[in-house]
Amino acid sequence: MSGSQSSLREANRALIVETVHRHGGLTQVELAGSTGLSAATVSTIVKELLAAGVVDTRNTTRSGRRAQMVTIAHRVGLAVGVHIGPRHMRIALGDVMNEVVAEQTLPLPNEHRLDTSLDRAALLVADLLERVGSTLDEVVGIGIGLPAPVDSATGMVSVRGIMRGWDEVHVGHVLSKRLGCPVFVDNDANLGALAESTHGASRAYRDSVYVRASHGTGAGIVIGGQVHRGFGGTAGEIGHVQVDPQGDICRCGSRGCLDTVVGGPALLEPLRSSHGTLALRDVIQRAIDGDPGCARVVADAGSIIGEVVSGLATAVNPQCIVVGGELAETGELLLGPLREAIRQRVLLNQIAPLEVVPAELGQRAEVVGALELVLRSTDFVVRSDEQARSADERAGEEEATH
Amino acid sequence: MSENPRVPLLSLRQISLRFGAVEALVGVDLDVHAHQVVALVGDNGAGKSTLAKVISGVLTPDSGLIEIDGEEQTIPSPSAAHALGIATVFQDLALCGNLDVTSNIFLGRELTDGALLDDGRMEQMARSILRDLTLRIPSVRTPLSELSAGQRQAVAIARTLIGSPRLVVLDEPTAALSVAQTAEVLTYIERLRDLGHGVILISHNMNDVRAVSDRIVVLRHGRNNGSFDADTASYESILAAITGATTQDNEMMRRMAALR
Repeated sequence: MSGSQSSLREANRALIVETVHRHGGLTQVELAGSTGLSAATVSTIVKELLAAGVVDTRNTTRSGRRAQMVTIAHRVGLAVGVHIGPRHMRIALGDVMNEVVAEQTLPLPNEHRLDTSLDRAALLVADLLERVGSTLDEVVGIGIGLPAPVDSATGMVSVRGIMRGWDEVHVGHVLSKRLGCPVFVDNDANLGALAESTHGASRAYRDSVYVRASHGTGAGIVIGGQVHRGFGGTAGEIGHVQVDPQGDICRCGSRGCLDTVVGGPALLEPLRSSHGTLALRDVIQRAIDGDPGCARVVADAGSIIGEVVSGLATAVNPQCIVVGGELAETGELLLGPLREAIRQRVLLNQIAPLEVVPAELGQRAEVVGALELVLRSTDFVVRSDEQARSADERAGEEEATH
Repeated sequence: MSENPRVPLLSLRQISLRFGAVEALVGVDLDVHAHQVVALVGDNGAGKSTLAKVISGVLTPDSGLIEIDGEEQTIPSPSAAHALGIATVFQDLALCGNLDVTSNIFLGRELTDGALLDDGRMEQMARSILRDLTLRIPSVRTPLSELSAGQRQAVAIARTLIGSPRLVVLDEPTAALSVAQTAEVLTYIERLRDLGHGVILISHNMNDVRAVSDRIVVLRHGRNNGSFDADTASYESILAAITGATTQDNEMMRRMAALR
């Protein structure tokens, strides 16, 4: 009897934490209404969670009455991760322990414009901060992932034409001027690689490759635990490896790039006569639901991506290949043929065969990577005692030299 | 989906409606399929809201043909529209500020348990609808007057899902919302589409329209003035059709759209 009661209590705790997570912040009365638990239960559980350091409370007012606002506890300092994809923007707030405290997705139009999208990104960041009861002063930095190669020295898109209209603009400057905090820009596949290798599927390996299969295809290379970006930030841009010498001209100017064969429009075109006009999302959902045509398109894409990734794998010799991006939501439909194509080509290591696994962080990988990028690039964030000590020592040395 | 996807959920042919000397709608055609978001754009007074009212049974057209699932229908009243599976969110939302979220969602369609209202079940259903749409409403017991504009819009959208409609008409759902609230509403529209509903989205914001719709239909002075594939059409060509900047091109585009 007492066993079932304590498990009920446990379930209620989990429900409250999940609800606070979903809303960012809400009052105890609202928590009661949202979860269906009694006000007394909510109050008791919030007290427990507060003592355990899971949530924070502060006084606020709702329609003139005093109320207790409950938010997920975060350490001092927030990082902002932004992923601007071809059709979606995803923004997440994370604390220094890399705990995501709030996130929001915004659908974007095809070929969205730089000025509108950056304006919306800035407003969304401000809105999300307000939702968790914080301000821009608490933000230590903003990480942005773009679906194009980014020169890490300047933070600009380094290959012209891949994101139309985004070539000439210093994305980092625009946002840091607007929001008043440091901005770090990187390629989205690199951020996915960073996230998966620190918190996800490849965290146990030192050398890994993250493949992002979405509207376009990209890869992030991790060597010795570090993301390898290359001189101009184009390392791992497998979307622009030639696979069809007679193929269409790509936006980068070459002919028959991987993106012209397995990019969003290329996947939708063969389905047009049989399935009508679909969005990439529809193809993925229908493939999961067992539509043979859509499943075939995904499987063929998997095997072509696998061919290109096998070349990369031969050059890098990773222990593990992690597959993420929207297409990876189809699971083995994409991964099976992709793994098969790689196994046929890469030199087999008898001791430790190359593993091809799905991403663990799913659609969040890029924003989590952006948060990680901010935390790694920011000095004053205390990550662990050891790092804190070495930072103090460094500060001490600097003072001594002045 | 058992229904034939080639037969539109809703098909309007040559709909005309005049108010005295005002020609509100002149020979308007519109097709909406299941699992599709069709955006209706145009200048002020182009007839967008009038067309929404015709679809939702508020106004009856002077002439023209309305087909639902390929069968000819008349929509004489809003309750007839509801019975045909058409739910509408009007610009002014038509919600009650003094009632809580659950009461608003079930307003006029309350569930009863014998002679009494079944509050428990309504609250449960309201909660599950809000969860299905991944709506961020703090509590189903909050009076509507305490919610933000975006949250009210969300409640109005949730309200449309009672009685599982097949077509949802949204009149300017993102006007006067902040970016975060717009993000939420656009995400709900994507959810509605993923759940297999047909959606008619009326909006002025080209960015929002192009973000979530499959097809964009332009009205100008109550007439069709072009139909675009949202993925490939440029801002410029849509704006030109709205403002009537390039009449000849529009004629050509209309012909091309008809061929498609």
